[in-house]
Amino acid sequence: MKRNFDFEQEGIQVKKSCCYFCHQNCGVLAYVKDDKVLAIEGDPDFPTNTGGLCCRGNIALLHLDHPDRVNYPLRRVGKRGEGKWETISWDQALDEIAAKLGQIREEYGAEAVATAGGTQRTDDWARRRFMNLFGSPNGFHNSHLCWIPTFMIETAVCGWSPFEIDLSYSRCIVLWGQNPGASNMPEMHHLSELRQKGLKIITIDPRFTETAAKSDLWLPLRPGSDLALALAWLHVIIYEGLYDPVFVENYCEGFGELANHVEQYTPEWAEPLTWLSADLIRESARMYAMNKPGNIQWGVAMDQQGRASGAAIHARTLIRAITGNLDAPGSDLLTGPSLEFITDEEMEANEYLSEEQKAKQIGADKFKLLTWPGYSKIAEMSKKYWGKVPTAEWMCEAHPPSVFRAILSGDPYPVKALLVSATNPVNSYGESKLVLDALREVDFMVTCDYWMTPTAALSDYVLPIAGALERPTITSSYGCSDFLLASQRAIKPMYERRNDYNFWRDLGIRLGQKDMWPWETVEDAYLHKIEPLGYGSDSYDEFVEYWRFHFPERQYQKYLDKGGFGTPSGKIELYSSVLKDLGYSPLPEYVGPVENEIDHPELAEEYPLVLSTGNGFMPFHHSEHFQIPDVRFLNSEPYFQINPETAEEYGIEEGDWVWIETQRGRMKQKADVTQAVAPRVIITQRGWWFPERKMKEPDLAGCLESNTNVLTSTRDEDCCPLSGTWANRGLLCKIYKVDSTEQKEGN
Amino acid sequence: MSRKHDEWGWMLAVDFFFAGMGGAMLVIAGIADLFLGNAQTSVLGNFAGAIFIAIGAGFLILELGRPLQAFRVFMNPKAILTFGAWNMTFAIIAGLLFASFGITILPWSGFILVRKFLAAFCIIFGLIVATYPGVLLARHKARPFWNGPGIMVLFFLSSFITGMAGHILSGYVIGESSWFIAEGYIVNSLSSLVLQDLPHLTAILLLFQLIFWAGYIWIKRSGGTDREAEAAQRWINGDLSASFKLGFILLGTIVPIVLMLFTTPVIHSVGACLAILGGMIMRYLVVRAGEDRTWLPGEQKYRSRLPVGNEEFLKVWK
Amino acid sequence: MARYAMVIDTRRCIGCQSCTVACKVHNELPVDMIYNPVTTVGPTGVFPNLHMVHIPLLCMHCENTPCVDACPTGASLRREDGIVWINEKKCVGCKACVMACPYGARISNQEKGIVQKCDFCLDRVDMGKIPRCVQSCHQKARIFGDLDDPNSEVVKLINSHHTVRLLDELGSKPSVFYIYGLEAQMR
Repeated sequence: MKRNFDFEQEGIQVKKSCCYFCHQNCGVLAYVKDDKVLAIEGDPDFPTNTGGLCCRGNIALLHLDHPDRVNYPLRRVGKRGEGKWETISWDQALDEIAAKLGQIREEYGAEAVATAGGTQRTDDWARRRFMNLFGSPNGFHNSHLCWIPTFMIETAVCGWSPFEIDLSYSRCIVLWGQNPGASNMPEMHHLSELRQKGLKIITIDPRFTETAAKSDLWLPLRPGSDLALALAWLHVIIYEGLYDPVFVENYCEGFGELANHVEQYTPEWAEPLTWLSADLIRESARMYAMNKPGNIQWGVAMDQQGRASGAAIHARTLIRAITGNLDAPGSDLLTGPSLEFITDEEMEANEYLSEEQKAKQIGADKFKLLTWPGYSKIAEMSKKYWGKVPTAEWMCEAHPPSVFRAILSGDPYPVKALLVSATNPVNSYGESKLVLDALREVDFMVTCDYWMTPTAALSDYVLPIAGALERPTITSSYGCSDFLLASQRAIKPMYERRNDYNFWRDLGIRLGQKDMWPWETVEDAYLHKIEPLGYGSDSYDEFVEYWRFHFPERQYQKYLDKGGFGTPSGKIELYSSVLKDLGYSPLPEYVGPVENEIDHPELAEEYPLVLSTGNGFMPFHHSEHFQIPDVRFLNSEPYFQINPETAEEYGIEEGDWVWIETQRGRMKQKADVTQAVAPRVIITQRGWWFPERKMKEPDLAGCLESNTNVLTSTRDEDCCPLSGTWANRGLLCKIYKVDSTEQKEGN
Repeated sequence: MSRKHDEWGWMLAVDFFFAGMGGAMLVIAGIADLFLGNAQTSVLGNFAGAIFIAIGAGFLILELGRPLQAFRVFMNPKAILTFGAWNMTFAIIAGLLFASFGITILPWSGFILVRKFLAAFCIIFGLIVATYPGVLLARHKARPFWNGPGIMVLFFLSSFITGMAGHILSGYVIGESSWFIAEGYIVNSLSSLVLQDLPHLTAILLLFQLIFWAGYIWIKRSGGTDREAEAAQRWINGDLSASFKLGFILLGTIVPIVLMLFTTPVIHSVGACLAILGGMIMRYLVVRAGEDRTWLPGEQKYRSRLPVGNEEFLKVWK
Repeated sequence: MARYAMVIDTRRCIGCQSCTVACKVHNELPVDMIYNPVTTVGPTGVFPNLHMVHIPLLCMHCENTPCVDACPTGASLRREDGIVWINEKKCVGCKACVMACPYGARISNQEKGIVQKCDFCLDRVDMGKIPRCVQSCHQKARIFGDLDDPNSEVVKLINSHHTVRLLDELGSKPSVFYIYGLEAQMR
């Protein structure tokens, strides 16, 4: 949007596009003339953002034609990471990549080709479709760190994940490890509105976040101790009689076992583990349980705790269940998959992947819930109850750290090719040094991205991808919601950029999948998806222009009509048969954070501080947007948070560069000395790399220098046994000031 | 962050300094002429007054974002800067004309009445020019170090100290170089009473300056708001304190007081130079102190985190 | 004649700086120029008893305008509807207004040699639209309207809440009103 912009000039079209810088996909109106976007603004009629845009949304035009964007297919010349490229045509690039993949499949089997994704910023049913048809089970994302463990555990217990929060009737919401004030603007808006009308907000977060500042109760727990808190809540709710006896009696199974199980987990037991007073634990549990209906909003915190993640998520699920806050007005709703439009899963062609190949999925033997063994079980259950199943892309994936290790070790078998799309694994996956080694080691790597990221710099081919305003978008919560929001592209992709859909399709066609890709464009595919809705649109764009979204009529308490829930027993399985069948504990067993002072006193002597990583902060998203000067200006350097008391102890002052070190390595950030965190707690910013620097080996734009994932742990024993999620939080670290002489160096 | 966006630069300090010194020189010359008789100040000093104001105006123009549009500053009669600009213009004209009477070959040098009128104008406009920078700063309500009448007095005082120093210096230079200026064209003023008395007068004003500044800093330090106290702290032991104490107080005030007590013209001239230097340093420091705006809630931390301007990322994607 | 004003509800502001960026983009400002910073006060207190409030700043569009008074060229003006703006053609970049403004709302643009500031997006206001920062705010923490219209949201909010004007003691009479929550504790 520019000053004195003439909205009514001749030839101008208003396109109903969306923001593409996180997966909210806020509605954007793009003013387009001659296939050029002249101005954008938030779409006031869009249901989520109602005209609002965050910092990122506002810079869409700066992103669109940024001088650093990758605009043409690039092929590496010279050594890997040397930064020398030649521009080639898409056809040539695809021909060569297809030939190479075919050759690898011939020599090592299809499973030797893996693909890495990031957050949901792609049409990843297409990626899955390609991989299934190609024959490899080894696709993966950061999904392990973001919602997917939650989704799968909740589905195991309740028959679906109750992720749809029905706020308008709610009296209390628990924001457990979620900070919508920095990550979900529309949600925060609704919370503020409702709070003024009396909604109680409980925020559980080690940090005094933007959201915590606007809450009725803030529980600053020790990072990684969510499981202890959840178990203590269960104890309070059950032993103070705050649960919903009618709901438990009629619709839950295993309450007796649960009550016996949590008897030991008193608030007093949790006090030293969570650093919260028993009184505060009781008060908060009562606030939630006694203000019905209420919600527990999902936040990534529990998905990022490694070993304890699964049990913590499980316990949180049970809190919701025993208070009867499920599928009732004002509570968390079990919508099930959409039966009205074609879901992502139905586009994935999962039936084409042979059982033999499924069995080869890396990590499936260790972490069963998010891989084929668990997914098949849940899919079968879901199919029977809902008629459709959750998306396999995201919910059923190879275990990323195990794939990176397989690249390095050849165990359990060689992984020779990595197709990277919409992610920069060096900065966004755990144990960055290991990831970087793997990326340097892998035989063949193709990266589809907007930018020359540290990962792209190590690739053999880098392909230019269409971004915000250049692509149509269907937003449907990883393909699992019963509603959808539709947006159109404002302009054709600039330069030689293409949709990632077309990358997978064109690659597939070259590898003998021609019959399986009938939709030439994304719009064609989308039209196919929405046709059953019956709006009668002739094209996808027409649907967007006339309808824009589809929300089905809300149905509460579907279990009454359906005769129960979508679990094997038809009840909420407090004592989970699904988890038991997979070989896991049917009840959440306490296990400490991955590294803690109680289980590992010797470690705590060397690394005395508690570390939490991975939380989102404005204006960046994951490892993105560091190259947009207007947002970078507001946040130009990485900062970690430290309490003044601890800072003083270590002689650290505001703005000092400080090394933060764990057993895995060290990285440096600047000190933000603040009361927002407890003494002994260190909270770092994620994602940092420095695109303004040279994108060459060995520094690769400082990709390890301030990268918090250098500190995280992905060892098998540190990962959650159910989901395989690794440990970003609840780690032990030490800190020391950066010597002025090493100020400019990398690690 | 880099502060270039939100404050005046050193050139404005130079303007204030020259305007103050030049204005005071005109006032001194005018008073001497009106009340003490012809040729009490040197012709060089008389010219210098006007020229210094012109130099000040030149720096003011250079400080502007768009120097070529400088004529526009005459446009808003309500603004002090406009008022100052007009008066500087009048003072320059009056000063030059007045000084020209000291050149005896010029045909009008004998018109005494005109000269007396010009002397009166020099006093009026010179006084305004020497005063308005102080008034301008004193009115800034949200600049704690400037706000209040005190700064007006200090600027006024400094203007007169530097103005006197200017005349002392001019008189000395004229005296030393009179050998190459043809006798009879120049009014000889070396023996004038005013010039003889100026060093002592200067010493007295310098003493006032010393006391007033100590008082001013003390009042601000213990003054009305936290921001005033913080602003004063910069002068006591902050980033401005070294230049203030050594440059202004010691070299620019105390040393000249001592030197003015001697009787040798050379030493007076050295003292005058130091007093002028002190005046310039003081103006610069005061303008710098204007950085301290009363912070709005949370603003200080916000600004401290912003880039300073030489960061790599600001250069790469221009 | 309208009298434009803005109410800022700090109970809603989360400090996301969307308004800051929206404004920069709309006004096509150089990267280091900001019309409307969002500051953070806090967390104040001692862990875990803390408060934090975000304060969006902008030109206060004062009724008594030290900036307009200080401008020697007549480039700084206040319209009848209360919008204080700069006629860029007349501005020579003397920064007298920059120094005179108690709110730091005026910034000199080094590239153009002039001073610039928030003008409530008068280009949009004259088109009947709301300022860009107001539209961009997800949280609806910025509310723009006409003080002379008794039905406007701003009048309702000012009448029903205790509002504060920054540095009110200076007598500049800003047209920007802040609503603080009970938890707000200023420094």
